[in-house]
Amino acid sequence: MAELHQLEKSLLIALKDGKKINLHTLLKKTKLPYASVARASVWLSSKGYTKIEEVKKSFIKLDSEGKKILKKGLPERILVEAVLKNGGRTLVDIVSTLTELSKDELNVALGWGRRKEWLNFSRENGKMFIIVKEKPAKGIDEQLIEQLSKGSITIDSLTSQQILSLNVLMKRPKIIYRHEDVDRFITLTKLGRTVAKQVKEVGEEISQLSPELIKSGKWRDIRFRKYDIKAPVAKIWAGKKQPYLRFLDDMKQKLVSLGFTEMVGPTVEFMFFNCDALYMPQDHPAREIHDIYYIKSPSHGDLSSYTSLINNVKATHENGWETNSKGWGYSFSLEATKRLILRSQGTALSARMLVDAKLEIPGKYFSIARCYRPDVIDRTHLTEFNHVEGIVLGADLTFKDLLGILKMFAIETAGADKVRFKPDYFPFTEPSVELSAYKADSGWLEFGGAGMFRPEVTLPLGINVPVIAWGLGIDRIFMMKSGISDIRDIFSHDLNWLRSQKVI
Amino acid sequence: MPTIIVLFNDLQRLVGIQLPQDLDDLNEIFSFVKGEVESIDGDELSIEIKDGNRPDLWTVEGLARELRGALRIEDGLKEYAIEAYSGVEILVDSRLKNIRPYIACSIITNVKLNSEAVRELMRLQSKLDLTYGRKRTRTSIGLYNYDLITPPIRYSVAKPDEISFVPLGGVKELSLKEIINIHPKGLEYGYILREKKHWPILLDAKNKILSFPPIINSNDLGRISEGERDIFVEVTGMGYQTVLNTLMIVTLSLADRGEKILSTRIHYSYDDRTQDETPRFKTNNMMLNVSYVNQILGLNLNIQSIIELLKKARYDAYQTDRDTITLTIPCYRFDVMHPIDIVEDIAIKYGYNNIEPRWPQLNTFGSLSNLNVESNLAREVMVGLGFQEVLNFSMSNKSKLYKKMNLKDRNVVEISNPMTLNYNCLRDWLIPSLMEFLSKNSSVEYPQRIFEIDSCYLLDKTKPTGVREGTNLACVCIHSKANFSEMKTVLDAFFLNIGKTYDLREAIFGCFIDGRAGTILVDKVNVGFIGELIPEVLEEWKLENPVIGFEIDLDKVFGKY
Repeated sequence: MAELHQLEKSLLIALKDGKKINLHTLLKKTKLPYASVARASVWLSSKGYTKIEEVKKSFIKLDSEGKKILKKGLPERILVEAVLKNGGRTLVDIVSTLTELSKDELNVALGWGRRKEWLNFSRENGKMFIIVKEKPAKGIDEQLIEQLSKGSITIDSLTSQQILSLNVLMKRPKIIYRHEDVDRFITLTKLGRTVAKQVKEVGEEISQLSPELIKSGKWRDIRFRKYDIKAPVAKIWAGKKQPYLRFLDDMKQKLVSLGFTEMVGPTVEFMFFNCDALYMPQDHPAREIHDIYYIKSPSHGDLSSYTSLINNVKATHENGWETNSKGWGYSFSLEATKRLILRSQGTALSARMLVDAKLEIPGKYFSIARCYRPDVIDRTHLTEFNHVEGIVLGADLTFKDLLGILKMFAIETAGADKVRFKPDYFPFTEPSVELSAYKADSGWLEFGGAGMFRPEVTLPLGINVPVIAWGLGIDRIFMMKSGISDIRDIFSHDLNWLRSQKVI
Repeated sequence: MPTIIVLFNDLQRLVGIQLPQDLDDLNEIFSFVKGEVESIDGDELSIEIKDGNRPDLWTVEGLARELRGALRIEDGLKEYAIEAYSGVEILVDSRLKNIRPYIACSIITNVKLNSEAVRELMRLQSKLDLTYGRKRTRTSIGLYNYDLITPPIRYSVAKPDEISFVPLGGVKELSLKEIINIHPKGLEYGYILREKKHWPILLDAKNKILSFPPIINSNDLGRISEGERDIFVEVTGMGYQTVLNTLMIVTLSLADRGEKILSTRIHYSYDDRTQDETPRFKTNNMMLNVSYVNQILGLNLNIQSIIELLKKARYDAYQTDRDTITLTIPCYRFDVMHPIDIVEDIAIKYGYNNIEPRWPQLNTFGSLSNLNVESNLAREVMVGLGFQEVLNFSMSNKSKLYKKMNLKDRNVVEISNPMTLNYNCLRDWLIPSLMEFLSKNSSVEYPQRIFEIDSCYLLDKTKPTGVREGTNLACVCIHSKANFSEMKTVLDAFFLNIGKTYDLREAIFGCFIDGRAGTILVDKVNVGFIGELIPEVLEEWKLENPVIGFEIDLDKVFGKY
């Protein structure tokens, strides 16, 4: 036996005695709404458990004139009762003044009154009188009209006398209206009778299983209301990491797995680490107010713990110091090194790492650093952004290794198929190189820059081995990955967008 | 990095061979001279020169010179020499010492200038003024039709309303003061002089004005038109060497289109300087070890191939012993400070893409910084508690940080040169950024629960930079039934999960409802606060539902402070 719906069970129980019943009766027996019974009866029939018979029947109901008669009575009755009230005898000429009947209705009333023998005419002294002897009993036709006041009835249910009466009434205009309709009768089939026998009486329906029901064991006597498991439900939102920060997490993970140690350092930085230590001359355009945010107060900080290093850097800028360089050849300002700014490049952290007591050689370091530049914020510019940068130190490192590191980054972090190198320029590296990565779906993309720190950078800071410095442009990779074209969306304020971001 | 515009036909003529028309093929060639063609527009090539320290490449003549070497049309050093002293003397007024002290001049004869060349020349001048000249503060260039000038030339000074002349391209005489105040070039560069009492002026023997350096030339003498002419070049500036360098770049460019270079004599009357002859084309020699080159590049090049590569880069080079090359550096290569600069040239001419990349086998172990390890733990807990992480700018403004939060101003890290008043300081707490976030999402389905972990910047005289940079966690929730208990539940869960205990002490905050706010203490140290935002603040941010939030200093919580 196929699984039966609760509604089907109810119908089967109501039909159990095998009688043929119509929908109307079924509604009464099951106490279910019409739509449910109609639906369930169709299901049962399609499973072959029931047979539905449709019987055409004739019905009658009151028409417009009939409804009027129901209130006021037949015209002939109105007439005879008016005559009786007048003493049972009235001049024909004045009878119209006794009732509100129209002339036509009066003629109808006189005709039917006479035919029903409720009145007689008599001629006296040349004048015609209407004579009514007694109040006539209620006729079959009148009873039928009253019966129809409750709605339509089938002609089948009428007695033969009533049918005669109906036929007469039908001749009179707009009293009775006759129409055909279909009634549905449902009986169990043989299969249905077998199934119905197995259906148990339906018990109490429960929506929420409660601890009380479980503990008391009452759950055995109840049945669970079935849910529409396809019905929509209220939305909830998962707690999630911000997608760009999650992307940076992945980046960190990859760099750590390649043997890189994370560097951290201050955002409010000395000009010394941001520029001087990186051999950027003090009149370099990248140090101007158009390229670096200067701190209003405090404007200068305390660099006294780096005095000897600063003196090395000063001499290097001025005349090359012991680096075998001729230097920039200008007069270096010590005061300018103390100027406080917002870090404008992640390389400042690499400069700090080179003078950090924890520096290890060989060593690989990276940082994901918030950097700042005075830019008007638009689709392609942010005034604060993240630099992914780092250094690799080792006694035997060469330009070949630098290219190898870049290639590894392109493959590991950008999923590149192939790489291409071009000459580039940074004030603090020589040789310098630009990395382009190729992916089949996006073509060539400038992805990073790198170089070997100049001796004018490393030697004054006390580093005697080659140092490879690299930086990756990962924002564009993130933008491609997440399908955004406006760089401001990295710092998205759109909660719907954040909620809709996939975690894969 | 400078981007220059050159005319394809002009470049092709200067290089002397047919150049490819295709962008990729062109870039193949340009990669040997640090150039990258960004776009081709008709005859105009827009080329980015990937070197901020090689003004010699920022001219079409310089690019052509370098390309002729790279393409082996011409090898080694290109000699530039002064044909003769022109007899032109420049007399420098001693009052310029503290205004714009240095000048250097040259004359190039029979320069063939068609309309293309005139345009190239103007572009070169403005490019050098802008970049190497640092928007004319460091150096500025003037070019003149030498035939119209009567030497000797005086580099002198004038008071702002003392002298008038017709500026280049104009029709009306203007005083120096008027030029500074109303002429477009005066408005653009006037800042260089405005503070000075006397302004520089360049005149000839007949008192005709050549120019008002560094603002503008005169229309009479300072206009270059098509034809074959002798050109007088003048560069003024603040640094002796940079003035000489700039003059050299311009002179060489003109020499590549002209016949002879003639020198001029500059007479100074400063204590430390008397006389000078310009231009100067001094070459330098340098020794380069083959082993040094190979050690840097990781290659195994022999001495002959290195010498060939050097010649392609327009150095003269010859072997002096088994491992040593002696090379002559072209006069215009004042970017060469160290042998490493020459090594890069060798690598570029060898071809970066001909070097096989190698992943270095260094035995290192990677790790995250402790600071981030702890932030990540805090993030993990907040995500688990159903909060969405958000990321906001760390730059902010006092109105957002305090006024809109119903708080009194505090001293924060302010920026001297903000781009907009919206971002003129660093935030010292995070909740205002979260309020702004909620404000922008008031039509998004509630409840909303968000958090942020990021640096906050507090003035602290004990730090070398005067700033303590701590890491804060802040979170807020908003919905019609949001209340203090809900957020305290989150606070409880947070501390439970990071293995710390905390106390709450009732406190009064301008931004929180009295009696519904408190200070968060860990080991008796104040680490943050929790509270329900007052309706005034909600109104400020146009929010119509209750908001509760807390903010804690993670460095203090984890005992790093």
